[in-house]
Amino acid sequence: MTKPTAVISRRSFVGGAAALAAAATAPAIGRAQGAPLRLATLTPLTGAGGSYGPSMRKAMEWVAGEINAAGGVLGRRIELVSEDDQTNPEAAVRAVRKLIDVDKVPAVMGTWASAVTTAVAPLCWESKTFLTCVSGADSITLLPHQGYLVRTQPNTHLQIGKLGEFLLSLKVKRVFVLSAQTPYAVPAEERLAEVLAKGGAASVGHVVYDREKTTYRSEVDQALRAKPDMMFFNGYTPDVTVVLKEIFKAGYTGGKVAPAFAVNQKLLGSLPHEVTDGIYTWAPSPAADSEAFKRVAKALGTEDLDPYSAQCHDHISLVCLAIAHAKGEATGTAIREHVRKISQGGGAKVDSAVAGLKLLAQGREINYEGASGPCDFNEAGDILDCKFRYEQAEKGKFKLLKIG
Amino acid sequence: MLGEVVQLVVNGLVAGTILAVPAIGFTAIYAVLRFPNFSLAAHLTIGAFAGYVANVAWGWPATGAVVAAFVITGVAGVLNDEVVLKPLRLAGPLTTAIAAVALTIALENVVRFVFGNDLRGYDLPIQRDWQVAGIRIGAQQVKNLGIAVVAMAAIFLFLAFTRTGKAMRAVADNPTLAGIKGIDPDRVARLVNFVGMGLAGVGGMLVGLDTSIDPLTGFRVILSVFAAAVVGGLGSVPGAVVGALTVGVGEELSLLVLAPAYRTAVGFFAILIVLTLRPRGLLGERAY
Repeated sequence: MTKPTAVISRRSFVGGAAALAAAATAPAIGRAQGAPLRLATLTPLTGAGGSYGPSMRKAMEWVAGEINAAGGVLGRRIELVSEDDQTNPEAAVRAVRKLIDVDKVPAVMGTWASAVTTAVAPLCWESKTFLTCVSGADSITLLPHQGYLVRTQPNTHLQIGKLGEFLLSLKVKRVFVLSAQTPYAVPAEERLAEVLAKGGAASVGHVVYDREKTTYRSEVDQALRAKPDMMFFNGYTPDVTVVLKEIFKAGYTGGKVAPAFAVNQKLLGSLPHEVTDGIYTWAPSPAADSEAFKRVAKALGTEDLDPYSAQCHDHISLVCLAIAHAKGEATGTAIREHVRKISQGGGAKVDSAVAGLKLLAQGREINYEGASGPCDFNEAGDILDCKFRYEQAEKGKFKLLKIG
Repeated sequence: MLGEVVQLVVNGLVAGTILAVPAIGFTAIYAVLRFPNFSLAAHLTIGAFAGYVANVAWGWPATGAVVAAFVITGVAGVLNDEVVLKPLRLAGPLTTAIAAVALTIALENVVRFVFGNDLRGYDLPIQRDWQVAGIRIGAQQVKNLGIAVVAMAAIFLFLAFTRTGKAMRAVADNPTLAGIKGIDPDRVARLVNFVGMGLAGVGGMLVGLDTSIDPLTGFRVILSVFAAAVVGGLGSVPGAVVGALTVGVGEELSLLVLAPAYRTAVGFFAILIVLTLRPRGLLGERAY
């Protein structure tokens, strides 16, 4: 009596094993229908970028929540795995290793500091993981990333070019550049000198300082000796705070300009008005008039949404739409192949991932334009177009000068 | 050129004096407990934030806030040592030093949890610098210098003339002999932690007065503090002062020939050179 049973069970075992093997080799879409789609955020929750990272992550969580509420990406729920890059390349590399090796995500989104993006990018392209960042250094898109990287932040060349034109419009003649040690410090100064020279002004000196110092008196002395009528502080908030105090104490009364990510509302709140009054800031402007921007700003409970959170809103939207366009193939390579097919071209314009997913499900082509702007990318992964916002600090508040 | 050198020396002396305060704390703890207590970094931060609370929330003037920074950080130092580091000291100085690094990261995150990541500044007017014979000197720096000098003088007097100070020196010089003479090593350990970490707190606040504070304030300066203590002779209180001034002035003078981005390296070249030529540091390791 036992023998036939044994035969049946052996047969069923073989059959079961064959079914398992077939399942394992089947395309991901067949096997994982309904399984969560895991994506990674890697933002600076601590360190110099710590005032942006939490909001960037929140923007992505909000989009994921919206997509999940509308039925997910082709039926798959999005599950976000969030890590802190600590605004530190070494910590970022550890975090991204975990995201790639353990969580096996197809995309990492939201790296902020250029040094961090530069450090994690090779790990991403080597493992065919897609990386989206908000870093500006020119060198980033020059890396041999094989298309596994796009950024929504204009590069240094474009940003500094705009700054140079703005400074020329203010009729400044002698600009001194005080830079924190970053990958974009030297290219930025060179580009600025080039633009200024064309307009009859000059870059009269450049000091690159160590961000970890507690005092920059000697650097400031060096800057003052060049007798500038404009100083450009190309650093991050903690060091620029110190430098601004120092130049005020040193008696400098000329013009001041800094990127808006360094001189932000938090910096204005931590320094007396007389130190910050008059300082100009410029930044790539998110599409503040767009519905996408207004929606995410409202969801995050702020009227003054920073550009990086707007960009991160677009990162996750682009990644999800690219996966949907690839018929659910959630791999870095599929995202690479499809991201430009949903972000540019003649498809129907959409400004949210949910709307885009709906149209894609109907078999229509789309052109995503998000909270940060048109999101059109060139071959290298740079955005093609972007507006800039120019502001000036006055009594602890920013006054908008122009967007253009 | 001469004016530039004088200005750099002045800047270096000011930076060095501020560095000297936590460096004394670091070296005093090393002298008595014989391990490099890297959790000093977190205590610098705790001091900076304690001073911030006293100054901004309670409205105390800077001098009062410095006292608050000393006391609060001192108490925090004693508690952290009793709970975390003391049980580990039996396992040897290396284990304790590593635990101190872990402790500093843990404490830094406690500060981050309570205060957040944002930069904060003290509620003090920022004054323009004075120009004396072409040399620029800051009013706040002179006050910082004053606070640092008073703190250092108080420590010297305490170690030289009080019974407790002498007990501390005795334990530092020869713990076994001090034990035989009836000095309670636990009491001395608590005391040196209170004073050492209190000084770290004052140092953190002095750093913050001139700049701004965030949870990484202490972490940024700890390597320079360590360099100062090692150059002066780990375990020697006057050595910490000499080391801090050497590192401070050395870093500034290096700007004559180096770009500022390389300035931090100077402190560590100083460590290499001093340890190669005088392995015990400039003033040796006698506690006093």
